[in-house]
Amino acid sequence: MTILGIDVLSFLVIAPALSALIVLLLPSSSKAIVRWAALGLAVFIGAVAVVVFFGYDRTNPDYQFVVQVPWFELLGASWHVGIDGISATMVLLTGILTPLAILISFEIEERVNMHMALLLFFETGLLGVFVSMDLMIFFLFYELSLVPMYFIIDQWGGPNRKYAATKFMIYSIGGSLGMLLATQLVGWTAGTFSIQELSQIWPAFQGTQGVFLGIDINTVKALAFVGFFVAFCIKVPVWPFHTWLPDAHGEAPTAGSMLLAGVMLKLGAYGFLRLVIPLFPDVWIAQVDILGVIQTNWAGIFAFMAMLGIVFGALAAFGQTDIKRLVAYSSVNHMGFVAIGIAVAALAYGQSYINSGSEYTQDAIFAMNGAVLQMFNHGLSSAAMFLLAGGIYHKTHTRDMTQYGGFWVKAPIYGAIFIFTSMASLGLPGLNGFVSEFLVVRGTWPVFTWLTVISMLGLLFTGGYILKGIRAVLHGPFNMRWRGYNLEIELREVVAIAPLLVLMLITGVVPNWILPVINDTVTRLLGG
Amino acid sequence: MIPLWMYLLVAAALFCMGAYAVLARRNAVAILMGVELMLNAVNINLVGFWRYQQPLNMAGQAFAAFVFVIAAAEAAVGLAIIISVYRQRKSVIPDEADTLKG
Amino acid sequence: MNLNDILSNPDLLPWLIPVGPLLAFFIIMLATNRAKMVPATSHEYGGHHPDYDGMKVPVVTLQSRILSVTVGMLGTLTAWVLSLITVSNAFGAQHFGEEVFGDRLNWLATGVGEFTMGVLVDPFTTVMLIMVPLAVTMIFIYSIGYMAHDPRQSRFFALISLFAGAMLTLVVADNLLLMFVGWEVMGLCSYLLIGFWFEKESAYKAAIKAFTTTRVADVIMLLGIAYLYASAGTLSFRDILYNEAMLEHLASTPAIILGGWGLSAAGLIGVFLIIGTIGKSAQFPLHVWLPDAMEGPTPVSAMIHAAAMVSAGVYAIIRMYPLFEAGGNPHAGEFTTPLMLMAIVGGFTALFSATIAVAQNDVKRVLAYSTISQLGFMMAALGIGAYIAAAFHLITHAFFKALLFMASGSVIHGMEHGEHHVHEHHAHDEHDEAHGHDDHHDHGHHFDPQDMMNMGGLRKTMPVTFWTFLLGGLSLSGFPLLTAGFWSKDEILADAWLGLTHGYGAPAFVFIMLCLAAFLTAFYTMRQLGLTFMGEPRTEEAAHANLGQGIVSFTMTLPLIILAFLAVVAGFAGVHPDFPLFGAIFSPEYNWFHHFVGPTLLHEPASIDFSIVPVLFSFGVALGGLGLGYWMYWRKPLEAGQPDPLVSILGTVHPVLKNKYYLDELYATLFIQPSQWFSRVVVSDFMDNGIIDGVLHLIARVFTWIGDLIKNLNVWLIDGVGDGIPELVAIFGTWFRRIQTGRIQQYMLLVVIAMIVIALIFAVSSGFLVQAAG
Repeated sequence: MTILGIDVLSFLVIAPALSALIVLLLPSSSKAIVRWAALGLAVFIGAVAVVVFFGYDRTNPDYQFVVQVPWFELLGASWHVGIDGISATMVLLTGILTPLAILISFEIEERVNMHMALLLFFETGLLGVFVSMDLMIFFLFYELSLVPMYFIIDQWGGPNRKYAATKFMIYSIGGSLGMLLATQLVGWTAGTFSIQELSQIWPAFQGTQGVFLGIDINTVKALAFVGFFVAFCIKVPVWPFHTWLPDAHGEAPTAGSMLLAGVMLKLGAYGFLRLVIPLFPDVWIAQVDILGVIQTNWAGIFAFMAMLGIVFGALAAFGQTDIKRLVAYSSVNHMGFVAIGIAVAALAYGQSYINSGSEYTQDAIFAMNGAVLQMFNHGLSSAAMFLLAGGIYHKTHTRDMTQYGGFWVKAPIYGAIFIFTSMASLGLPGLNGFVSEFLVVRGTWPVFTWLTVISMLGLLFTGGYILKGIRAVLHGPFNMRWRGYNLEIELREVVAIAPLLVLMLITGVVPNWILPVINDTVTRLLGG
Repeated sequence: MIPLWMYLLVAAALFCMGAYAVLARRNAVAILMGVELMLNAVNINLVGFWRYQQPLNMAGQAFAAFVFVIAAAEAAVGLAIIISVYRQRKSVIPDEADTLKG
Repeated sequence: MNLNDILSNPDLLPWLIPVGPLLAFFIIMLATNRAKMVPATSHEYGGHHPDYDGMKVPVVTLQSRILSVTVGMLGTLTAWVLSLITVSNAFGAQHFGEEVFGDRLNWLATGVGEFTMGVLVDPFTTVMLIMVPLAVTMIFIYSIGYMAHDPRQSRFFALISLFAGAMLTLVVADNLLLMFVGWEVMGLCSYLLIGFWFEKESAYKAAIKAFTTTRVADVIMLLGIAYLYASAGTLSFRDILYNEAMLEHLASTPAIILGGWGLSAAGLIGVFLIIGTIGKSAQFPLHVWLPDAMEGPTPVSAMIHAAAMVSAGVYAIIRMYPLFEAGGNPHAGEFTTPLMLMAIVGGFTALFSATIAVAQNDVKRVLAYSTISQLGFMMAALGIGAYIAAAFHLITHAFFKALLFMASGSVIHGMEHGEHHVHEHHAHDEHDEAHGHDDHHDHGHHFDPQDMMNMGGLRKTMPVTFWTFLLGGLSLSGFPLLTAGFWSKDEILADAWLGLTHGYGAPAFVFIMLCLAAFLTAFYTMRQLGLTFMGEPRTEEAAHANLGQGIVSFTMTLPLIILAFLAVVAGFAGVHPDFPLFGAIFSPEYNWFHHFVGPTLLHEPASIDFSIVPVLFSFGVALGGLGLGYWMYWRKPLEAGQPDPLVSILGTVHPVLKNKYYLDELYATLFIQPSQWFSRVVVSDFMDNGIIDGVLHLIARVFTWIGDLIKNLNVWLIDGVGDGIPELVAIFGTWFRRIQTGRIQQYMLLVVIAMIVIALIFAVSSGFLVQAAG
């Protein structure tokens, strides 16, 4: 499939960047033209993403829409793009969310060109990561996505934006540092950067094969593992690497928060699925002694961290009074389910790689299906939550929930949408979040039984903070301070959130519109 | 026959007078005249050495002729500059022509 | 496939049952919920709302009201009609039970397999399909009158429709997951309906309490579902419960946790699912939300919580009963862990909440606690293996409790009516015309229309309500022979008695607890009736309490009459054939209910032999309680200002009962405050902002310090060298430029000097001078 003479995936990567340039060059005097142009371009790119998703043939076990062009032959890196079921889902998510974020940033009045261009440029980084099949390209786009987001937070953010932007940037760069080293280590030792080839040859390295600078291969593997592990843990974020997130999400403008929570966090989880699980099956299940008392493996440690994220994320969200921070912490909570699902998949993949078979394969398929679906679902619901939180912040200029109260009196439509979205976020059966959470719990239960039990505490407090949010915003007598304000949701916001609501409901009622695409890839990967 | 050293003495005296004029006089015309004196001192030397040492070789005479030409050219250009400077500044004293000095 | 095929195919028909109400929900929310803006002080925005001066608020338009009611009613009626068709199909089917109606679709891709969603109509579903749509329709008719003047009426009907849709989904579900979907959506609806008057603090607090408390149970239930799915590979009821090999497999596998204590997988799953029911059906210790749930729009949400949602909890465990029983046999004295849990929790809750109900003065709270108590009866019955009796009591209870709640709603509505009347009267008397009618929602004087102490004598002004309330109350008390409650309760006691005669512990416990509870039930019902309807009005409001005339009055009394009829006759469906006289009339061949519902199970439960002893106990406790209540509250009704005689009789116990054993306070101290403190202070402030961010900031500070150090080093060393070279050059240049005077003669002098020096050097180095000297 080609568009305008280039293959569709390369087009998806390049088009947002070109659109960003076009938007940048438009006259800044006419904001309306800039806004509509950006929206139009993003909608077009989104439509291409949708076409790609539905054009993906799930029965075909290979990567699809593959293009490989020599690029950096000396290193063995090439422009190598293609998608499987997991990437297709993420491409779809990115394609859907970007136009909505652009529609929401119509409310930005300062330097409109630059804002829109940065959002589009950000999309290039995200899509680039999701379609790349080359480690070098992967890293390149992974880093590329940081820059626009930094400026979006730093330039258009809330009162404490400088701190948040710096923290975000330094934290992410800190993670990327290890990832860069790991990328070089893996690529240099194996002599190729192709992820597919690496998945075959890199885990098979034994003894003196691929010795790097005379260091033992297991040490090299462990080092590379830690490099990737920490980088992606920060991005997901897994507890305790999460504290950049409430600041960044809290201070970012609405569109920034939407994309940050909706898509950017998925880069981390996607990195685990695409790189860390296939490249390090032996490391995941290697014995780890903690203080000589607890014997576990890396998958167990990761699951434990994920569990802490679920529980503490929910508790921390429950303790907030700032609405955007509350929603931000809910991301820590929800991404914890993704992480614990990944841990199960890693364990099963590692066992079946080493022992050619695992008792947990079937469970891992559930867990990983759940994790990927949860990535998609969290993308929808967190973006919608940020949209609503941002909307109310935009109207009242305060994020302090104690200043709200009784908004349902004046804003019935906003209230209904807020409750619908909250319930999706809470994991109400019948809406999207439940399907993925159920799959994860089902997959995790036989493997990490006690951790699942404790995670339920997190699920309980999910209810707690969601209800707290609804109570603070909608319930109670109307706070007469806002008597003269128009609090009802605007038509533009309704248009932006409507696709998300529809997708939430459809995914909750008929999850098979998307799940088989994920399921087939996952099943093949785990050999179920 | 007058020995060579006498010519050389005259030439040396003439050169010293010319050098003194160049170093000590403030008037540019006088400096130029000093230069002429030094050139002529050189000419005396050239002609003297030619006559006493290598009478068959014409190089000494030829060089002397070159020096004449150079002296003439120098005088012409130099005087032109001096006149030009004088027209501009009403002075022929080179120390006062210091517009280029930083 | 066209609609006719679906309608004529009994296997496909159940799919459509929940569709009507669900569709009604979406239509009302999206289309017929138009509002107009009116001043907040206007008459239309009256009722349960505070005043907002000078602000306009949205109020549903008349057109939307009519459309919403019509759409909602159509949805509900569709569901009812389809249910009736299904029920008649079921009655007409051969070997129903072994053969069932059902259909499934692929729903979720799971590896190489698929999770299927489907519908199932078996005998137990059929009796639920008789009860639920009927009850829902009655609610609907009733709330047309009750909510007629609410400014957010459309939203209310939308939520009721969603509630009905969810309940019907739950009933027709063929697997635990779909049931859980209906279960949770109902939880959401109850949250929204309890908090329907969301501006009232008590309302939204009760809503949050209800949702949170049930969620405690639901997350554990979710674990149970996940575990069941993991060990059985399916969640379909038929595949698990109608499959002996599967049950045996589950009962013989040790549990994944706590397996060391002899717990089987079936046992652990059972415990998890029962905990879910404990939350949903408000059993001890998670019962605290139900009495508070009475904050919702008075009769309707209360009735829903009594008849539909809490029944769902018991419905779920009746549905899953073979799993709990797996590995044991209660009729042979082998009680599995889940059964023991149910017997203990149910028996205890039945008595526990009956004691609380005795000391309540709020007309709805009495009923709320009686609901908890009656659900305890069902739980206990299931715990001792009385499957049919529990199912029977579930149905009869739904009828008479729905009746009681709606009747109490009528009472409250009537009292509010009286209150308005009195208030307007006073307004006319005491104020000048300017204040007039607008003052009617000024709640300056905190009159509680739900407090029974303010009532009395209502039988005169509200006769229909009185007679229906009386019938419902007698049914609840188990008034012998004539009421439905008697037959179902008697059956539970008979089962327990049988176990007791065999010397089993659990049935003995259950029998004693339930007898005591039944006695108290009869007593507090009589107390309630006496306080509410007997004697003379104790307040002016009570004297003017009535339902008025017209549509409101009609829609609110019609359901009462229908339900009162059912509360009496429903019991005759399950009379023991050997019961003297009645058995011969109503069960000439067999106990119809038992005969019909029994085949739901793989092993149809055996009919127990008739015994006169439990019947005598039933007579004794019911008549005893009623008699005591009659003697205390009815024979000599309370006068205005006279204290409840119970206060002096019970002494210090009374405040404990009145305050519900201080459980709310205990929970607040033990769980709510610590978790709030923990989440805010420990997790958010201490851990995230303190430790993690503290460490980060420390790292940042260390690096900043190192950076400063290196910066200083740069200034000193690298900049020192770098800047030093040009500085040196500059110094040299400054000094050297002095010789550059621009005076040509000076230069020439220098040239001369230099020449002389060079000449001298040349002379010295070449030895010329030496030669000259020498």
